[in-house]
Amino acid sequence: MNGSVPSSRAVAITYRVLLRQLVSRGRIIALSLIGAVVALLGWVVGRARDDDVFLPTEFNDQIRLDDAVATVTNIGFTILVPIVSLVFAAAALGDTREDGTLVYLWLRPMKRWPIVVGAWLAAVTVSLPLVVIPMSVSAYLHDVGSELVIGAALGSVIGVVAYSAMFVLLGLFVKNGIVWGLAYIIIWEGVVAAFGSAAAKVAMRGYTSSIVSERTGVEIDIGTLAQSTAIVVPIVVAIFALWFASVRLQNLEVA
Amino acid sequence: MVSVTNVTKAFGDVVAVSDVSFTVGPGITALLGPNGAGKSTLFRMLCGLAAPTRGEVRVLGRDARTDVAVRGQIGLAPQQDALFDRLSALQFVSIAAEMHGVADPDTEARRVLDFVQLPVDDPKPVGSFSKGMRQRVKLATALVNDPAVLILDEPLTGLDPVQRRRMIELFNELGEAGKCLLVSSHVLDEVARLGSKVLVIAQGRLAAAGDYHDLRDLMDDRPHRIRVRVDDSRRFAAALIERGLVDGVSIGADLEIDTTDVDGFGRSVAPVAQALGVRLREVAPLDDDLESVFRYLVERR
Amino acid sequence: MTAEGSARILDRGYRKFEGRRSGVSGAVRSTAWHSTRSVLGLGRKARHKVAPVLVIVVAFFPAIVFIGFAAFLGGDEFVRDFLEGTIPAYSELPRQSLAAIVLFTGLVAPEALVRDRRDGMLSLYLSTPLTRITYMLAKVVSIVGLIAIVVLVPSIIYLLGLTFASLGPDGFGDWVTVLVRVLISGTLASLVYALVSMAAASITDRRAFASLSVVLAMLGTLTVIQVLVEGADLSINWRLLDPVNMPLEMLARMFGDVGQYRDLATERVYAANAAWAAASAGLLWFRYRKAGA
Repeated sequence: MNGSVPSSRAVAITYRVLLRQLVSRGRIIALSLIGAVVALLGWVVGRARDDDVFLPTEFNDQIRLDDAVATVTNIGFTILVPIVSLVFAAAALGDTREDGTLVYLWLRPMKRWPIVVGAWLAAVTVSLPLVVIPMSVSAYLHDVGSELVIGAALGSVIGVVAYSAMFVLLGLFVKNGIVWGLAYIIIWEGVVAAFGSAAAKVAMRGYTSSIVSERTGVEIDIGTLAQSTAIVVPIVVAIFALWFASVRLQNLEVA
Repeated sequence: MVSVTNVTKAFGDVVAVSDVSFTVGPGITALLGPNGAGKSTLFRMLCGLAAPTRGEVRVLGRDARTDVAVRGQIGLAPQQDALFDRLSALQFVSIAAEMHGVADPDTEARRVLDFVQLPVDDPKPVGSFSKGMRQRVKLATALVNDPAVLILDEPLTGLDPVQRRRMIELFNELGEAGKCLLVSSHVLDEVARLGSKVLVIAQGRLAAAGDYHDLRDLMDDRPHRIRVRVDDSRRFAAALIERGLVDGVSIGADLEIDTTDVDGFGRSVAPVAQALGVRLREVAPLDDDLESVFRYLVERR
Repeated sequence: MTAEGSARILDRGYRKFEGRRSGVSGAVRSTAWHSTRSVLGLGRKARHKVAPVLVIVVAFFPAIVFIGFAAFLGGDEFVRDFLEGTIPAYSELPRQSLAAIVLFTGLVAPEALVRDRRDGMLSLYLSTPLTRITYMLAKVVSIVGLIAIVVLVPSIIYLLGLTFASLGPDGFGDWVTVLVRVLISGTLASLVYALVSMAAASITDRRAFASLSVVLAMLGTLTVIQVLVEGADLSINWRLLDPVNMPLEMLARMFGDVGQYRDLATERVYAANAAWAAASAGLLWFRYRKAGA
């Protein structure tokens, strides 16, 4: 008879099934629109500011760089990255739990962590293009050099990786994953931002913003962490969240 | 193959299943009970989807909640309709086969889809399927890994009579092949066609277990009801009463007789008719069927 | 022989209701009240109350904190003068809870509207004396009332708290004036938030996506405008398109204060709010004119 399924295969199968479920036209179009707005803003801001003729070029360049970084971090890392990640990651396992299809993943001779990892990978696969492309395009259109583009892209990737893991976990814990995720994004990360550098470590936004800050040399209130910290800590958080989600999945009562 | 020992399941203050014990072997066993009796909760515990508050559940000697391998031996067709809507039937069942580690998932998927009479190469997503087709997809998914134990939660709901008959034939085939099938229902006449082993659940408790014919015989505090058709009902009824063979008689178009001594009555009915010179046309038990057994067990509460 | 006159049949089965009917106004009242209960999770298990209560608490936080300051430190006259310069004015207090206000509107409108569309309750409502307009009216009343909890009530508590700490308005007349301003400005701001969030929530039938839609409509627009004005250096009049800050700006102007945007003309601020309200009402009408049919 058949024994248990090796974990690598389990990850692959879960990934394929959930990827199919997550890719829905409505979601993709709506979130692409937001990405388009972000990119468009890059173009508008990049074109709009007239250089002050009384200042030397470096000052003007610096002002433009500051504006560009502010735009990218404000709309990109505050809204685009977390919300796109939330929409797909909260749904990855959360939706299966709500409509009862989780049983078709759960009652199988597979371990739990491959299911969680497969779900996370599916969410990341859909979120990454919807985030990284607009962020990079926006950064590029600001026309302030390649550091911002690299920083925006890298920060987006790290952000998606970490937020997706956190929200996959959230989807397994609460019924209304998106609403609680919004509460986290608006209240926790929004309010915490008000406390500036002291709070940078407690909100994911601090880490993503720090990546851009470090690369471009522009100081941001909440982006004061070192590059290595800003990359490693979110990854650690992601691993921990996925582990916790596996434990939760094992102990869940499945409808 | 399945054993349940002193299992209780409580959701906060609500006790869904209360101190239930039974064992089930190969063949079909029907789990009967009104809505809300605890059938689905019990099934979920059998598959390991929920943990009992107290007691022990074992499938093939192991606990499906913690044992990874035994999950491959169980096939579940759950009650809810939801499937992975975007996939076609073949994709859905193939993926289930892959998740069970089946060697050739595509071939197996085709085989079981054929077995449940669904078109194998239909590219339509299962989200567009009718209720009956969904039920068959669920059954195919439950069968694709050739499990030893099949747990089917209300599998006949929403099917038309033709489909229902076909499904019951399938179940009988599987039962005869030596698999252990547990089928739940609250519709008695379809369960009656699934063989005679039943578990009757009401209000979370196990009311009875075994062959329902034997169960009826066990219920000797209830008089058996028998219909007798004779040419002269009143005289015959009077004679039966006089001889003390019956507990009660109802005279309508036919005679309906209540008696606790079925054997005695059976031996005497023909001689009495003969003695009276009355023509006996029919003697038929009225409550030897599952519905009556069920009603006696459940309505007693 | 049977006795006559002392026998009565009391239950003849189904009978029509012969009592007083409360009419359309009663229907509107019940719908509004039921909607309010549903959003706050009243009459349901505790876990349905957690989200709204949590957000309300966060919204009240600034008012409580500042009253705390005033209460503990306000004894000395010198300290009192210092405090009066630091704690926010009545017109500025709602801004301190902006995040909670946005989140709360994201919870309220979807809960009040989407469920009825999704479950088919809207058709049932429309089979009563309610029409689409009176149904919407009931919902607006409910949602404005709920949003006022986070926009208006903290300010009232603030007023009361400061009054007790002797930092309130001088004279009874002034006190009443402040109270009236708080009530009117808070209600109007809540109305604009209510209409905008209802319009955003009306575009989808899934509650979670409706919440997302409201949050994006408000927070997203705010951020985009901010970037355009600060980053792209566009005219400050673009701020009039910001549905989050404009109601609060209008609230401030009603106090005779200037809110955040000194350079925006007051008439334009009022006009912008009216435009947001009208546009939202228009979208709502468009979405609901066929719904539930």
